[in-house]
Amino acid sequence: MSEATKRSVPMLVWQVLLGAGLLSLWQVGVTYRWMDKFFFSRPSDVAERVWKMFATGSVWAHLATTMTEAALSFGIGVFAGVVFGFLLARNRWLAALLDPYIRIANALPRVVLAPIFLLWFGLGIWSKVALGVTVVFFIVFFNTYQGVREVDPVQLDNARMLGASERQLIRHVLIPSALTWIFSSLHISIGFAIIAVVVGEYLGASRGIGYTIAQAEGVFDTTGVFAGMTILAAVVLLVGAGVDRLERWLLRWKPNRDTSARQVG
Amino acid sequence: MSIVSVKLTNLARRFVSPKGNRYTAVQNISLDVGKGSFVSIVGPSGCGKSTILNMTAGLMEPSEGTIHVFGERLKGINRRASYMFQQDALLPWKTVVGNIELGLHLRGKDAKESRELALQWVDRVGLKGFADSYPYQLSGGMRKRAAMAQAWIVKPDIVLMDEPFGALDVHTRLRMEGEILRLWAESGETVMFVTHDLEEAIALSDEVVVLSAGPGSTIVGQYGVDLPRPRNLIDIKTEPRFGEFYRAIWSDLRKEVLKSYERSDEA
Repeated sequence: MSEATKRSVPMLVWQVLLGAGLLSLWQVGVTYRWMDKFFFSRPSDVAERVWKMFATGSVWAHLATTMTEAALSFGIGVFAGVVFGFLLARNRWLAALLDPYIRIANALPRVVLAPIFLLWFGLGIWSKVALGVTVVFFIVFFNTYQGVREVDPVQLDNARMLGASERQLIRHVLIPSALTWIFSSLHISIGFAIIAVVVGEYLGASRGIGYTIAQAEGVFDTTGVFAGMTILAAVVLLVGAGVDRLERWLLRWKPNRDTSARQVG
Repeated sequence: MSIVSVKLTNLARRFVSPKGNRYTAVQNISLDVGKGSFVSIVGPSGCGKSTILNMTAGLMEPSEGTIHVFGERLKGINRRASYMFQQDALLPWKTVVGNIELGLHLRGKDAKESRELALQWVDRVGLKGFADSYPYQLSGGMRKRAAMAQAWIVKPDIVLMDEPFGALDVHTRLRMEGEILRLWAESGETVMFVTHDLEEAIALSDEVVVLSAGPGSTIVGQYGVDLPRPRNLIDIKTEPRFGEFYRAIWSDLRKEVLKSYERSDEA
């Protein structure tokens, strides 16, 4: 294929072609018995299942549970992470005191906490929220801490000379400056929040997407597992796109690297 | 010139290096800056010019000595002073007008009046049409214009400037110096201006203060520059009297610059 065609066909077309190609390969492979349907299911079956889950409305209660858990763990985790990040970045003594314990806590694989949270908070949503918070908190905390520490001292001095009080410094200089860092952590932590609560549901729950996946697995229903995965992936992408828009608006003062790249290209 | 706006008495500032060595940046600094005068501080690089300015701003505490601002002992931030920094100090997340009105906003002034006044300043420093731009969209010279408005809008009694135009090209710099002189002539505040460029110092100032090479620099010369005002910065450097001032001050400064070369060679 010539260089000219490569450039004139938009990337989106290539991307769709790649996805469609892989899915057809899968579909054909199972239809002609090169792959076992029992273990691999089939894209058409998965699509049908997803459609049925939405058509009968059975998915909504599960989706609502998972999203509530994810939203709560995200909200609580971000709030706690930002507050602690600020506190420790502004208080060196406290930061030095807590440093080893934060490292230890962060070194723990969060999944092993899930059974303990299940014992503490029961089968309901709060055991999942707790798990999600432990994941989100550390990501946001470290980024906020770093963001506040990296504030340009000249900008701080300038605001001080212009009459800023300690509180005004936080509001006008520290928070906006740390926002870039906090936002880069939001992208990751929103995905992780959803993953964490699904893992929690998977290990013990009576509702949620993770629960439906676990149920399907229990009866070797691979189609059900893939259907759950598909819905999860779609939700994470949708929420991610929302965060993207919010970020673009909040960080509109930054040079837009995308635009400049487009101008050069 | 009878009122003293800034009085530095026996000022010294020591730093402790990470290795624990004590290092004296400046010492025995005594200087009276008259109200409404334009005073430049020149000296070889690393002689502690900025240190003096930062202490006068209240951003840094002197290790010894006192600072009086209009007769009052300075404690904490110097509330009667504005500061123009060498680096970019505009807040990148605020628009031009948002940056210019920041000082009024922080002092709790009425939002609508502040905005109106800030918009007047946008025009006044020649940024018409850029009020809603963000700093990254401006050139270096335009950012300096915004910084100028930001410092002047709060009607300070004293403006401190730390090589504010060091990063600009020669022509932009000349224009900015002209703007500074215009603003200063209109408002009549005291300016303390730090630079390593002697020509710039003579062209702008009423008085040039020469610092010795660091460490432990101190004032080695003070020269009144009574060139007539308003000054034409484009032609002033070719005037014979400018040359006389330049030669007189340079003979002092030259020694210090050579000393600072020797010391940096040793180090």
